[in-house]
Amino acid sequence: MITLAIDTSARLCAACVYDAANSAVLGRAVEDIGRGHAERLFPVIGAALHEAGVSYRDLRRLGVSVGPGSFTGVRVGVSAMRGLALALSCPIVGITAFEALILDVPKGRPVLIIQDARRGEVFVQLFDDEGRAANAPAALSFEAAAALAQSAGAGLYGSGAPLVADTANGADLEILGDVAAADIASYARCAASKPPAGEAPKPLYLRAADAKPQAGFALPRKVPAP
Amino acid sequence: MDTATCILGIETSCDETAAAVVRRHGDGSGEILSDIVFSQLDEHAAYGGVVPEIAARAHVERLDGLVEKALGDAGVELGDLDAIAATAGPGLIGGLIVGLMTAKALAAAGAKPLYAINHLEGHALTARLTDGLEFPYLLLLVSGGHTQMILVRGVGDYQRWGTTIDDALGEAFDKTAKLLGLPYPGGPEVERAAARGDATRFDLPTPLRGEKRLDFSFSGLKTAVRQAAQEIAPLSDKDIADICASFQGAITATLRERVGRSLDRFAGIYGGERADPPLVVAGGVAANSAIRACLKDLCGERGFRFVAPPLQLCTDNGAMIAWAGAERMARGIGGDRLDVAPRSRWPLDENAVARVGHGKRGAKA
Repeated sequence: MITLAIDTSARLCAACVYDAANSAVLGRAVEDIGRGHAERLFPVIGAALHEAGVSYRDLRRLGVSVGPGSFTGVRVGVSAMRGLALALSCPIVGITAFEALILDVPKGRPVLIIQDARRGEVFVQLFDDEGRAANAPAALSFEAAAALAQSAGAGLYGSGAPLVADTANGADLEILGDVAAADIASYARCAASKPPAGEAPKPLYLRAADAKPQAGFALPRKVPAP
Repeated sequence: MDTATCILGIETSCDETAAAVVRRHGDGSGEILSDIVFSQLDEHAAYGGVVPEIAARAHVERLDGLVEKALGDAGVELGDLDAIAATAGPGLIGGLIVGLMTAKALAAAGAKPLYAINHLEGHALTARLTDGLEFPYLLLLVSGGHTQMILVRGVGDYQRWGTTIDDALGEAFDKTAKLLGLPYPGGPEVERAAARGDATRFDLPTPLRGEKRLDFSFSGLKTAVRQAAQEIAPLSDKDIADICASFQGAITATLRERVGRSLDRFAGIYGGERADPPLVVAGGVAANSAIRACLKDLCGERGFRFVAPPLQLCTDNGAMIAWAGAERMARGIGGDRLDVAPRSRWPLDENAVARVGHGKRGAKA
């Protein structure tokens, strides 16, 4: 089963073509661009397909990073891959940044995957010593994330790990790594093994849209006579 | 003679998620095979306006389903299409990205040409799809985001004669509605209230009256409405109706004067060439019947033909984007590369001098 997985949720614009039958990466292309994923994604996919020597028609499974990460970056990837899934009638799976990152960490101890979410928060998910999810992804303060890692005896992994280790109660926590994005091959492996859900993947924002209902703009109205 | 083409069009530049399939026949006529618009009105109502992040979130979850339905309704498969067209700007970048990336995916997987379409070009060419208009003609685009007078000389050949130097006309309607506590979207509410009001009660300004240039301005009028309303607040239903009627009256007076100048200029240039030069109106504000009546009347006076495409093709839709792609293709204009970028700002007339704001993303209006 030839799988194409992409990640546009953070700095990287990455694509990987993976053959599940032989557990082999057939092609990959990764650009560290920071922004401009909408422009670069299809050239990057093209490069990965070219290296693998396959065409779009050969794809049997699609995987896309649903974040959390840059809202815009995630939407670039999700809309592109949902479009490909429609065009190719191909099953598609969404993979969270947590699911991919945990594959890059050796098993044997609980791990708190931590992504820098800016605005004084981190996006986290806890995994047990077998690499299984132990809670739902969430946005937490640095202190709350440190407390969660303490109580689980978890090591810290991800771009937000240093932020959490720097808090007052985080000093004893071990940083296992502080990478910003998972290896694109991890996304591809995850995509090949994860059964497609009933509905198409949606971005995982973990944060509401920044908008407040407007009030107090309208002029006062006369109260109708009783 | 060129051959028939079948094009998918995708539109996501604001708060409508839209997809359509259009066929262009060899004789240049067009046929809409399917046209689906999903309006996000409910999502934005609580905020009194379109929230870009909310719009982007809604587009990404709906667009692929809409495209599938548009193809199904048209009875065509992706393989039957000759090209994929999508709005690449101007508009809200989050939504543009969703539409353009979906289009890129369909184009890449199906090995089809991709047309990254300027939203304004979609509006500009619609009258050729609906009414088979010949070039040249004048287009008045009046929506929540744009207020422009454009000379349409050919496919890809546009001259912007006038634009708003501040608020768009639809924005003026929405802000007036918001001030008066009318529900969102405000345009139809203001029109409804105006129908029972006294348009002579408040003396409101008609901005730029008498000025030779062909631009528009509505922020002064908006301020005048606010001041007039504040003076008499708290407002009764009658007050609100009278304010709306006076506001709408000032708008029609302004359009009559401003648009009239463009008609005169057009007649001066092309007067000898066509007996009934056309004025095409597009954009959501074209739904306002008082404005329609005033423009129709103005056209009658000046010997112009008033062309208003059906309402669902005046507001944002995928058919106009598909049609713009078809028109480009028919003229031998090649598709865009798969690394084409969405553009939040993208003047239709790249030579036009910026009226307000000009940054690295280009002219604002």
